[in-house]
Amino acid sequence: MRGRRALLPWVLLAPALTVIGLLLLFPLGRIVWLSFREYRLRNLVSGESDFIGFANYATLLTDPYLWRIAMVNTVVFAAVAVFTTIVVGTLVALLLAALRPVPRVVVVSCVMVAWAMPAVSGTYVWIWIFDVDDGVVAQALTSLGLVDPSGYNWFADRLFFYAIVTLNIVHGGFPFVAVTVLAGLLTVPRELHEAARIDGAGAWKRFWHVTFPVLRPVFAVVTVLSTIWDFKVFAQIYLMPGGDVGGSRMLNLGVWSYVRSFGHNDYGLGSAIAVLLTLLLLAITVLYLRALFREDGVG
Amino acid sequence: MARRRTHGYVPLTAAAAAAALALAATACGTGGGGGGEASDSLLVWIMQGTNPDETGFFEAANTAFTDETGIEVEVEFVPWQDAQNKVSTAIAGGTMPDVAELGNTFTPGFADAGALHDLAGYGVDTSQYIPGLMEMGRLGEGVYGVPWYASIRSVVYRGDLFEEHGLEVPRNWDELRETALALSEAEEDMIAFPVPGDAQYSVMPWIWGGGGEIAVEGSDGTWTSQVDSEGSRAGIEFFTGLALEDGTSTTGAVNWNEIAVMEAVAEEEAAMAILGSANPKAILEANPDLEGRIDSFTLPGQDGGYMPSFAGGSLLSVFEGTGNEEAAWQYVQHLTGDEFSTRWSEETGFFPGVANGVDAFSASADPILEPFAVQLKEASRGVPVTPAWTQVEAEKVLVGMQQSILNGEATVDEATGEAADEIERILNGG
Repeated sequence: MRGRRALLPWVLLAPALTVIGLLLLFPLGRIVWLSFREYRLRNLVSGESDFIGFANYATLLTDPYLWRIAMVNTVVFAAVAVFTTIVVGTLVALLLAALRPVPRVVVVSCVMVAWAMPAVSGTYVWIWIFDVDDGVVAQALTSLGLVDPSGYNWFADRLFFYAIVTLNIVHGGFPFVAVTVLAGLLTVPRELHEAARIDGAGAWKRFWHVTFPVLRPVFAVVTVLSTIWDFKVFAQIYLMPGGDVGGSRMLNLGVWSYVRSFGHNDYGLGSAIAVLLTLLLLAITVLYLRALFREDGVG
Repeated sequence: MARRRTHGYVPLTAAAAAAALALAATACGTGGGGGGEASDSLLVWIMQGTNPDETGFFEAANTAFTDETGIEVEVEFVPWQDAQNKVSTAIAGGTMPDVAELGNTFTPGFADAGALHDLAGYGVDTSQYIPGLMEMGRLGEGVYGVPWYASIRSVVYRGDLFEEHGLEVPRNWDELRETALALSEAEEDMIAFPVPGDAQYSVMPWIWGGGGEIAVEGSDGTWTSQVDSEGSRAGIEFFTGLALEDGTSTTGAVNWNEIAVMEAVAEEEAAMAILGSANPKAILEANPDLEGRIDSFTLPGQDGGYMPSFAGGSLLSVFEGTGNEEAAWQYVQHLTGDEFSTRWSEETGFFPGVANGVDAFSASADPILEPFAVQLKEASRGVPVTPAWTQVEAEKVLVGMQQSILNGEATVDEATGEAADEIERILNGG
């Protein structure tokens, strides 16, 4: 009886584990395997390759491009994008919680449109908005006299380039945060807010001392997920002007991995970059979750 | 990949054969590509970009082929920008097509990697093709692609505007500059001569025109890039100077590729631009109002004569290991044969890959193609013939160089120096 009961969870998990194993673990294992091999176009055709130990990692870790460009782009961008997404998402959630049912449905629908926008079309819309000659932004700024009529190529400026990417990512990412936090907000007991109000707490204090502690696990989930998503942004950078040029200063780890693999036909090194990105994400996620739950007194 | 590995490269062991069977079973329905056994249909990849609509042509060509041989053909269009990545991933996944149109600059790379079927055994008469194109299809003794069509870039301009403002076709760089300046003054709302950042074949003529080379191979097989030679720099300086000092371009053109340049002409935004011989037709398709209002001229040399332009074009290659190699070769012959190659040229404006077809075609063709024919015969060049060149293009080295100059991030000297180092690193296997 006991044996059967111990087996049951595994039986129930089996379908999901099989799918994850096939779709996730196999490619992951394959990437790790590739990262230890000399793998070029020729190997792609023949299927045979040589084990070269940590040579790809040595090349990668001594490449100044990693430290000066790709890593900085990835980490700084992700930090800014995650923070902005969470703040905007939370503000929208607070707005939604305060609305009556009908306006709430209207606002939620608008938010969902942003969420439903596919990354590729969304990116092209942003590129179009920021078109150097004819874009809405360029024309508005020119008519205000803020930009010289000959225009300014913001896609060539690392800061502007990533500002546009951040807008794109926050626009696509905040609805998830808003909806998740809203679900959490609705579970916060009304009595807690009332008590705080009687004690004379303002809106900020009520949020920080009542709402936030209750919603800590919700914030943990959205932060970890947003961090993972923003670290591995690809289409939103690759499709931007200059985002696919081999030596450009705009690449992040994900795009760099792709360009190394498919541009330079160096699949081994490309895989090593991908492994590095994965390890980085795992480390950040573990550290973050531990810090969070320790504060909370759990675990 | 395992499936490809079992195909003729290593002896088939029982285990490998079983694995091959299992994988082949899961790979059904990927069209004609792969499987290792002959099927009665072919999958063909054709590139898509700045050329006119080609669906009608392929319907006719494929029907004729099916009538003749009983083999069905499925054509898939692949955008040029994605072509190389798509072919690589298809090789990795064993879903490559039976026949593919490959740009002449990346045929050597795939041939060298062993992805393409050697056609030498079929008795191809290589001497009949345009030599510069044929050269890109050969590697050692092997023939890995046959020239299908040639594409050359010259200048397309608005004849009506030239006439209106009393401008003449420029015969050297100075005149080109004066013409561009006069046009930008006369047509304030138009871009006189766009200097694109994402169009490497528009940059190459200036390297050659100034007297430089992209890269030359030394007697010991090492490549030296001369993109940073005095001549190359002078050419690039002149071309980018049109944008940076003379203002005949527009800031946004830094992000333009050849398609964007063509669209600017089609939308009557640009008055004159470096474009390919298939573009006039595509422009008129997009904007029939321009009928009779566009014309072309051969790229002028620095002090007269002609400036060399990149002779692009495509080869048709047969993929190795699909099991359909013979039928695929039949199809290649069908498309490059007299009937359909003539029809293709007439419908697109590309020149036939067969050398004596060029003269025959240009004599009968639209007069707008005449300057392109002159360019092809008198002043055309290719890129360095080495498999590694593919990577220079894939990493967009010349694009990066051009963009950093146009964005004002680097001087011509700095940018060309960097590009030369990068080209040498790649070509010498770094």
